[in-house]
Amino acid sequence: MSRTLALALVLGAVAGPAAAQVATDREAVRLLSRAESLQARLERRDSLGRKQRYQERLARRFDAGDVTAILANSVGDATGHRVVAGASAFLSELGAIPPSFISSCVVVAYSATGKDSVLRAEGLIRRARIMADALSSPDTLADGAIVAVVIGRAYRESLDADWKAWLPEDVALVWTMKRDGAAAAQELMAGETDAGARCLAGDVARCRLWLGVDRDPTPYATRYRPAEIRRLLMKQFYGWGRVGGLPAECAAGSDRACLQVVDRGEWLSPVPASPRARAALVREVRALHGAATLRRALTDSSGSVGARLARAVGISEDSLIYEWRSWVLTGGGNARVAAGARDAMPALIFAGLLLLAAARSGRWR
Amino acid sequence: MYRQVLKAQWLAARLPVVLLALLGFALPLLIVTYGGSLENAPSDRVAQWLYAAEKIGTLIPGLALLVGLLLGIGAWAPDHAGKHVYALSLPVPRSMYVLLRFAAGGTLLAAPVVALGLGSLLAVEAIKLPVGVHAYPLQLTIRFALAALVCYAIFFSISIATKRAALVVLALICGAFLADLVLAVLSVSGSASVTTTAFYLLTNWPGPLSILMGRWALFDV
Repeated sequence: MSRTLALALVLGAVAGPAAAQVATDREAVRLLSRAESLQARLERRDSLGRKQRYQERLARRFDAGDVTAILANSVGDATGHRVVAGASAFLSELGAIPPSFISSCVVVAYSATGKDSVLRAEGLIRRARIMADALSSPDTLADGAIVAVVIGRAYRESLDADWKAWLPEDVALVWTMKRDGAAAAQELMAGETDAGARCLAGDVARCRLWLGVDRDPTPYATRYRPAEIRRLLMKQFYGWGRVGGLPAECAAGSDRACLQVVDRGEWLSPVPASPRARAALVREVRALHGAATLRRALTDSSGSVGARLARAVGISEDSLIYEWRSWVLTGGGNARVAAGARDAMPALIFAGLLLLAAARSGRWR
Repeated sequence: MYRQVLKAQWLAARLPVVLLALLGFALPLLIVTYGGSLENAPSDRVAQWLYAAEKIGTLIPGLALLVGLLLGIGAWAPDHAGKHVYALSLPVPRSMYVLLRFAAGGTLLAAPVVALGLGSLLAVEAIKLPVGVHAYPLQLTIRFALAALVCYAIFFSISIATKRAALVVLALICGAFLADLVLAVLSVSGSASVTTTAFYLLTNWPGPLSILMGRWALFDV
């Protein structure tokens, strides 16, 4: 009896944990299979996402006029077409870049995948590729300015050293009189350099120095005064004079050190006028003498930049620069104080109408 | 009749007319406070001087507005004070009386215009300009005259307007602001604005107030 009881107790002691173990294993298996199922679902979703992202980044061709661009699919149909149409409009408006150049290249967004296969499939493989970033978001693409500017930049790079050094990076493609012209006039008015201030006062020779349109073996010494170099560098780079060496000597008052330090071309532009103000000269030629003249000047490679522009326009360099100065300072050639019939007419008509209205009705009616 | 109206108007508005004429004369002279010759002046001085000329120039349309305001309202001040009894007692139709008042006010308006012209000429004579900088005394005076005339006509008409006309103008202005408010609440295209468009149309050629905008520098390139 007691043996039977002891056996039952032993069996109970062994079977209890064993049954519990079986139940735990079953739960573990269930959990494992659930985890695996979730993992599989996650992988499927990732794979779909990857495929979708790949599809979005997939390169796609957009055309307008002579402009061809390979952008990512994610840009969207409407935006893509608007962007290349905008770029084409910017390029046509300036008209300085030959259509043959524009149609010989293709703008390719870095972010697009499968560019080579699209270029090959579309027969664009022989065109010069202009790789560009910031072309993936509809926001950064704006109205095609970026595409136009990268083409402009490529065109500038194809020109000779004088143009490359002098032309603004965007070849004045994205330039408006209201914004950039006013800023150029303001820059001239600011009188940061003697050349600029004297140009403002009407000294054309100084305007040429300020714009840097003449070839000069020592541009810094000719176009800037040492004191200006010192002031500009101290203003632009905080603590510049404490760098030591030549900068410290320049800051301490050594003119020779100032010229030596900038001669390396690292600290200061050899042209006092900003790219925006230089773009104003390009725009002035375009506005007053036409796109063909500007195109002619840009393909000319003999003499200085000023001589090329003047030759294309057909007037002396001084006359051209004087014309530019008036054009910029008058906001596109408008007379400073206009008081002609055009201005008087609306004022007189309005005054007449008011008088008529006053005569026809009144308080004591 | 015109002489009587002019005399009455002069007696009522002589102080503002004299003060405005003095202001008109002084304003161009403010530009040449540096005096002397600018032919060989330091370059930064020419730049500062041109900048000052432009800044002072922006006060001139303000003066035109002041002239128009004071003379336009002043033209009717005696009539308002006398409850229009004097005007009603005259043997002329109302339209003729309005013309006479306008002409008399316009004649008085000539005083600040002539003063500004004289001041401008004196300022031009007082200074030797560097190459490439020009003076525009005649254009400035004509532009000032036109601007003052437009402002004068506006305030002249407002002063004599009926209550209904005043209400219509006020309603138009309030309506424009209300329309902007509604557009903003409905979030209709961010750039749409009735007041901005109206202001643009009024102040850009051929808008009637375009004469007040633009450039007003006596000395420029």
